[in-house]
Amino acid sequence: MRWLFSLVVVALLAAVQAVSFTGKRLLVVLDEASEKEKYSVFLGDLEGRGFHVTTESPKSDSLSLFRHGERAYDHVVLLPAKSKGLGPALTANLILDFLKKEGNILLALSSESATPTSVQSLLLELDIHIPSDKGALVVDHFNYDSSSASEKHDVLLLPYPTNLKSGVKNYFGGDGYIAVPRAVGQTLGNESPLLAPILRAPSTAYSYNPKDEADTVEDPFATGSQLNLVSAVQAHNSARLAVLGSAEILQNAWFAEKATLAGKDIKTANRDFAEKLSSWTFKETGVLKVGKLIHYLDEGVSKKLNSSVAVPENNPKIYRIKQDVAFQVEISEYSNTHLTPFVPADGDSIQLEFSMLSPFHRLDLTPISQTANSTIFGVSFKTPDQHGIFNFHVKYNRPFLTNIEEKRQVTVRHFAHDEWPRSWQISGAWVWIGGIWVTVLGWVAFVGLWLYSAPTEKSIKKTQ
Amino acid sequence: MPPKQRTPSSQPAPSSTSTPSKPTSSKAASNSMDAQAIATDIWNKYVDKTPQRVKLLDSFLAFLVVVGVLQFVYCVIVGNFPFNAFLSGFSATVGQFVLTASLRIQTNPENKSEFESISHERAFADFVFGSLLLHFFCVNFIN
Repeated sequence: MRWLFSLVVVALLAAVQAVSFTGKRLLVVLDEASEKEKYSVFLGDLEGRGFHVTTESPKSDSLSLFRHGERAYDHVVLLPAKSKGLGPALTANLILDFLKKEGNILLALSSESATPTSVQSLLLELDIHIPSDKGALVVDHFNYDSSSASEKHDVLLLPYPTNLKSGVKNYFGGDGYIAVPRAVGQTLGNESPLLAPILRAPSTAYSYNPKDEADTVEDPFATGSQLNLVSAVQAHNSARLAVLGSAEILQNAWFAEKATLAGKDIKTANRDFAEKLSSWTFKETGVLKVGKLIHYLDEGVSKKLNSSVAVPENNPKIYRIKQDVAFQVEISEYSNTHLTPFVPADGDSIQLEFSMLSPFHRLDLTPISQTANSTIFGVSFKTPDQHGIFNFHVKYNRPFLTNIEEKRQVTVRHFAHDEWPRSWQISGAWVWIGGIWVTVLGWVAFVGLWLYSAPTEKSIKKTQ
Repeated sequence: MPPKQRTPSSQPAPSSTSTPSKPTSSKAASNSMDAQAIATDIWNKYVDKTPQRVKLLDSFLAFLVVVGVLQFVYCVIVGNFPFNAFLSGFSATVGQFVLTASLRIQTNPENKSEFESISHERAFADFVFGSLLLHFFCVNFIN
């Protein structure tokens, strides 16, 4: 009986193999049913990871991102459509509203069809710029696939992206080459901190429109690594939007294709890259979760954080100035199927601010211990010499990781009257203690003399 | 009393008016002689005419001035580190001086006309009460 039960458990575990942290309702917007065949492996992979895939045409009447004012889907894949517009259900405003409600979008562009106006204005709103003319694509005369694009050089073969910069985790790394056929290059605006490039074009690439009849490219849209082939937006509410320059990356035809790079036969790794990109976009990776957050008066004994949900945080409401305080926070990272202990990238650390309007302390949190699915970070410090209402504030915004912002408010009071050192413990005060007691003793002596000398007053009065 | 006091102080005045005819050096000498004479005269008058209780009050006031000056000079030279200690020590002395000066005004026989409604016993009781309050505050403040 027991073996049967464990078998059932194993079977159930296998069924929920991988699923997004936020939900599994996935909408694929696709122009024609025949197009679906081209993406069958990608969509099959998504279903295999636990998503409930719904395919809709942009022209369909039943298509709506919202139902009763709430998201009808958790994630959307927008594949390029032949038609110029995407219809009333997918205007730029509606797509932005979907992002505001924490929906995630994978947006694929194609140079073969014109970018719909709603997508154009959506990208403009997000400060991502694409070439305005239809058919503009990215070419590279050095990193092209010589077996399929020996003439046009418009199928790029690129290694997996490396770290965006030091201190940032890489969720898109791997071994092999990604084929990027006929991509629409994007440039990112400088002002927005929400934008991050995922896959940059090599320095020898440039974007141009092959329909221009000129022999030389006079004024390319963008060149080199300022061109992005895949870029990402993560909003303040951690909603994610990935812009894929070439929808063909997701097509079966390029998932494991033989290609030739500079005379060398290679196999494209698009299937793996598509999985990494979609699992990041749909919050299967790079999702942070804050568990418990405790702080207590540090009296030399380190308390152990109990990560059980049943035990409340039960933090003190008040501290005194110049007291030793310890702080601990539990952070997990969701990784495909389950929560794992979060480890920040090398050279990066989570920081705690102890702030009243402005931070009085900004301290690096160090990992203290790990549980099965979380890391406990902690730091000890002395409360500043300033009373008032303070916040324990953990704010951690990094590219490709969901944002953390946690606050716990405490009062920091000043010394109570009986908490100061007594006057005689401060040797500098001895002189003035002496001053007081000399005055008091002199007064006592004076009062005694005054009372003693009372009769003489009468004699003086008599003489007067 | 006031008329009596005026007569001795008016005595040296004629001698000083006769000096302008003399040279300046002897004038200074005679001036210092006169000043000394005035001082001793005032001192003698004070010793003779002042009631004993007022003398007692004056000596206590002088004592408080000395203690207060010592504390202040120490603060200026060494620094005011436990500032509350300096404040309470110094203000104990200054406050005691003020209270004692009030007692002196109220019990001085010369001011009898102004304080007829307040008996000496009442003034002394006020003084003791005020002083005890002051000492309590100062000891409390220095902690």
